[in-house]
Amino acid sequence: MGRFRHFINIIILVILSTVALRLLFDVILALPMAASAEARPIDHLFNGHFWMISFLFSLIMVMMIYSIFVFRRADGDETDGPHIHGNSKLEITWTVIPLMVVLGFGVWGAFTLNEITRPKDGEMTVNVTGRQWSWSFKYPEQGDAAAAELVLPVNRTIVLKMNAEDVIHSFWVPEFRVKQDLVPGRETTLRITPTEIGNYRLRCAEICGQNHTTMEADVKVVSAEDFQAWIEQKSAGPSFADMTPEERGAYWASTEGFACVACHTTDGTPSAGPTWQGLYMHNVKLADGSTTEANDEYLHNSIIDPNLQIVDGFLPNVMPGNFGDRFAEREQEVGAAEGIDLDISADLIAYIKSLQ
Amino acid sequence: MRTLKILLTSALVKGLVGQAVGWALGYSFVALLRALRGLPTPWLYEPAVAFGAIISLLGFLVAAGVLADWLRWIVGKKTELKHGAPAGQPGWARYINVDTNHKVIGVQYAITSILLLLVGGYFAIVFRIELAQPGMQWLTNDEFNTLFSAHGIVMIAGILLGVGAMVNYLVPLMIGAPDMAFPRLNAFSYWVTIPSAVIILMGMAVGGWDTGWVGYATLSLKAPLGVVLFLLGFWMNGFSSIASSLNMLVTVTTMRAKGMTLFRMPIVVWGSIAASIIQLTATQTVGVALTLTVAERVLGLNFFDPVGGGDPILYQHLFWFYSHPVVYVFVLPGLGVIAELLPVFARKPLFGYRWVALSSLGIALVGFLVWAHHMFTSGMDDALRVPFMFSTMLVAVPTGVKFFSWVATMWEGKLPKNPPTPLLFVFGAISIFLIGGVTGPILGTIPTDLHLHDSYWIVGHFHATMFGGYIFPFFAALYYWYPKVTGRMYKESLGKLHFWLMLPAFWVMSIGQMSVGLLGMRRRVADYDPALGITTTHILITLAALVIGWSVLIMIYNFIASARTEPAADTNPWGSRSPEWQIPSPIPEFNYVTPIEVVGEPYDYGLAGSVYTRTIAPAPSGD
Amino acid sequence: MSTITAKTSHDDVHAPEIPYATQLRSNRLGLWLFLFSELFLFGALFTTRFVLWGNTRPPLSQEIGLLATVILLFSSFFMYRSETAIAYGDQPKFLNNALLAALMGAIFFVMVVVMEWNVFRLSGELFGIELFGHLKPGDGVYGGVFYAMTGMHALHVLSGIVFILIIWWNGRRGAFTPERHWGVEAIAIYWHYVDVVWVFFYPALYLMGKVV
Ligand code: HEA
Ligand code: HEA
Ligand code: CUA
Ligand SMILES: [Cu+2]
Repeated sequence: MGRFRHFINIIILVILSTVALRLLFDVILALPMAASAEARPIDHLFNGHFWMISFLFSLIMVMMIYSIFVFRRADGDETDGPHIHGNSKLEITWTVIPLMVVLGFGVWGAFTLNEITRPKDGEMTVNVTGRQWSWSFKYPEQGDAAAAELVLPVNRTIVLKMNAEDVIHSFWVPEFRVKQDLVPGRETTLRITPTEIGNYRLRCAEICGQNHTTMEADVKVVSAEDFQAWIEQKSAGPSFADMTPEERGAYWASTEGFACVACHTTDGTPSAGPTWQGLYMHNVKLADGSTTEANDEYLHNSIIDPNLQIVDGFLPNVMPGNFGDRFAEREQEVGAAEGIDLDISADLIAYIKSLQ
Repeated sequence: MRTLKILLTSALVKGLVGQAVGWALGYSFVALLRALRGLPTPWLYEPAVAFGAIISLLGFLVAAGVLADWLRWIVGKKTELKHGAPAGQPGWARYINVDTNHKVIGVQYAITSILLLLVGGYFAIVFRIELAQPGMQWLTNDEFNTLFSAHGIVMIAGILLGVGAMVNYLVPLMIGAPDMAFPRLNAFSYWVTIPSAVIILMGMAVGGWDTGWVGYATLSLKAPLGVVLFLLGFWMNGFSSIASSLNMLVTVTTMRAKGMTLFRMPIVVWGSIAASIIQLTATQTVGVALTLTVAERVLGLNFFDPVGGGDPILYQHLFWFYSHPVVYVFVLPGLGVIAELLPVFARKPLFGYRWVALSSLGIALVGFLVWAHHMFTSGMDDALRVPFMFSTMLVAVPTGVKFFSWVATMWEGKLPKNPPTPLLFVFGAISIFLIGGVTGPILGTIPTDLHLHDSYWIVGHFHATMFGGYIFPFFAALYYWYPKVTGRMYKESLGKLHFWLMLPAFWVMSIGQMSVGLLGMRRRVADYDPALGITTTHILITLAALVIGWSVLIMIYNFIASARTEPAADTNPWGSRSPEWQIPSPIPEFNYVTPIEVVGEPYDYGLAGSVYTRTIAPAPSGD
Repeated sequence: MSTITAKTSHDDVHAPEIPYATQLRSNRLGLWLFLFSELFLFGALFTTRFVLWGNTRPPLSQEIGLLATVILLFSSFFMYRSETAIAYGDQPKFLNNALLAALMGAIFFVMVVVMEWNVFRLSGELFGIELFGHLKPGDGVYGGVFYAMTGMHALHVLSGIVFILIIWWNGRRGAFTPERHWGVEAIAIYWHYVDVVWVFFYPALYLMGKVV
């Protein structure tokens, strides 16, 4: 009879504690807002897990604390506890039931996974490129429009085709719930269907070196019409012929262009690379001990062949050595479209010159 | 003066000097080879630093005299095992010299482990202060990256040494053996860890590294110089793990006392066996991963860089094939300690001894099948992801058996009204390992992991599992066996203070980490966006970290002070049945002066008149 | 700091004598566990080969590969004879065969390092067969995996040779008897093991897959 009373107590306490914990979860362990179609089934699964966590934690803790306080040794009692060795039926029970439960969660997980990864109607592809330490996006179905921010039409499944240029990065927008690594040498895909118009932030979730922390990009979910308008404006692109070299240089340096700003600041603080502020025509101390003047030739060399001269305090092999080729490609593209003769490196130097 | 002399002539100091000399020799050797070919060697030239590091290990071992006996064997000389401090030196000098007694080695492991814990914890506190506020306060990105990477690997090295401490000290005692099967190999395993720790810490001095403790390719191929020393130091630590686990498995197989059948061994031994099986095998694959990375960086071979046809994901498979199972190495001996202490204090048999024993093996074996759950977002095929999801979920089952058995042991048990410190730490361990464990399956189901991967939820999950499965049980073990090791009782009031500071602080830290993780806090970032609404929680985490740090310092003070001032402790203050408590404290050099024999069950508390072990008269010698 | 053990003086405590049979059991088990552990090392390299090469392989000299393999197998045979000899107390036969095994191991090692790796950058032909390999360590994954696998194996061969020389040196001075020759037994087992590993490595490197 005594045992029975204890069990009733335990059951009541576990139920109370489970519910209380689950409610507490919503306060201290809450998820951010859900802004994609994929988030819905995932949040259901989260909910299931949260219930299970609350229950299991309550179950074990209630029994432990109950034993600590209810069965504890009375004053003056010197005897030992009852000599109970074990109980095979109990052992089998608490092996088989958890086995069923976890397998159940596995099946639930598999179905949810299928739901969020299977191809859907009306998909749109966006190419994502990650590099130390910036993002860029291309819209192959919209005439290869390129952008440094990810703008997406609402309620349409987007297939992100992702590539990394150097090391592993990871695509994560918490409001969309899903995450996918970008792996050099292979293409990975991720499906998201944004459902809420608004502004979000994409942050690289895999450690990728010095400036991993700041490898971020804006994500804008807009209505279908706004998306169309944005694409048209993007496709028009800036008219380089109308810009001054400094303006063009600022554009090339931005994440829209070649993302120099991911490593070079323009406000005097050092980052992965030397700052550009006050650089032009000032003396630069090199790693080999010599000093040189940051004139046009030095800057040009540093852009095209960065390992040639390493500035004191910075590491070699950090800056990609292929900017010469990438500039040439872009110069041709723009030259063909606008009929002007560009020199991107000269534009950049002009821009650096303006940063005194 | 005399103390200084003993210190300076100790194996430890000689070894460190030898390590420095070895490093210089290795470095100059490479420089010389280059000079012969007419090439200059720049300062901190990577291949020279790496080769120097490898030679420095040898330098340490030779100078410390770890290899002396083996070198004599090579030239055909027989050697005796040396015992005790070097002639004419006080007893404590044993601990800084090469000694083959398993108890000395156990204590050496424990002290080194605590030192590493302090160093790694100190790194955590430094970067936690940076994280208390959004914006960059006092660290640069590079410093932050180096600090958390070093924190991770130093703590893990610390855990492996702490496991070594428990296994070395307890297992021979518990199975009634005089020592380990290979005492020299045992000393060797310990002494390798010192140069390995030095090399890892040197990595911070030569530019640090920014890969975290996992060292993923291709970042590890581009990271600063420090990463090479991290990889080599990690490798050497693994080398030591393999040697010591081999020793431990042989000891349990061949050195058990008469009548000590497998299912009559104290339960800690089972945890140690399971942990050793993992260490013996899986460590080799991470060794390959680290070796190949060093080869790719230093020698120009190609395995992981896709530019030459390599595969960065291959590194992850090789790495996690070890680094998942190794998390069970961290916890299995600790869970054994929990199961050992509960019956003693509840005065009741361990519920379902066989199930608890076999669940350790179950965890270890299933643990080999789940490694890819760390790679759910890496771009693996679904055909691989889903089986790994199911196998991951399975680990919950044997772990659950342990929890239920512990609870059943406490149920109707006579736990003391005023629990002593070791028991408090056991309670704390159960609650924390539970929250760590139940936050595991949510990572195991892929869709939820897609949100949680590389977020602070993971950080919360694994600090809880490691504190609950290792740190708390380790502290419980330290307090529990302290009177056996030193012959004196620790100060109970300080022990309680330690516990009551550490437990709540830990809960704040761990739940805080999970909370910010759900909201979008990434791992391994030096800064975060205040718009995430996590600033207050971060302040709390940092404050909690400081409290944990202080509480650990209290423990260390307690142990040092009590060894000098407290009166002698009883032989068996806890009333345990385990054989090591039946002999004097401190324990004689070869444990059981008269051999013991097992005649009953280990945990028959509450059964009047039952005995577990008794001494037997030494067998009459034949010749 | 107080002491761990009650008494630490040197003369009055003696380690309980561990019977030779027990020690031998421990040694044997220890060796086999070590070899079991190494299985994972070689297994990981093997896996690396299949992941990175798939169903292809680099062009390698079939003649050198085959000859080296045969020589290594023969050395294992001599090692076996050596061990049997000491078990029957035939000292000269034990020594000569051990030396032969080491010699053939050394030839294998030279074939890998000097000929296949061509560390001295030589060139030459014999009977129309090229004697020196062309694959460089830097040749993408083919160079990487080839050098890693042969290198790791060669390291084991080298250590095996050193061990054989040690038992030969000690054996000359009568360190081993038919009853007590654990050292010989251990190195023999190790040597066979290294051989068996090569039996798996050889086809993986030289025979399987299409030549690129
Ligand atoms: C001591 C260490 C330890 C332990 C014991 C565990 C235990 C478990 N871990 Fe954890 N884990 C780590 C240390 C540990 N982990 C570390 C260090 C990392 C991060 C590495 C890095 O990236 O740096 C990590 C990361 C990690 C991941 C990868 C996350 C990611 O990066 O995306 C996953 C995914 O599946 C996971 C799962 C699990 C599971 C299922 C268990 C299970 O073993 C837990 C089982 C226990 C229980 C479930 C509770 C008790 C059971 C019951 C009461 C029975 C009933 C239960 C049910 C019905 C469910 N862990
Ligand atoms: C046993 C393992 C262990 C332990 C005990 C700890 C303990 C702590 N950890 Fe650790 N942690 C890891 C293992 C561990 N950690 C691992 C493996 C990682 C992953 C790394 C990676 O991402 O690669 C990690 C990562 C990690 C992060 C995430 C970093 C990031 O992703 O950016 C954080 C953040 O809060 C953190 C915090 C803490 C804190 C505050 C403690 C506290 O408990 C520390 C308490 C402090 C002490 C115990 C020291 C007390 C002593 C002093 C204050 C004086 C010292 C004086 C001298 C040395 C002279 N840890
Ligand atoms: Cu890119 Cu982190
Ligand atoms: Cu894992």
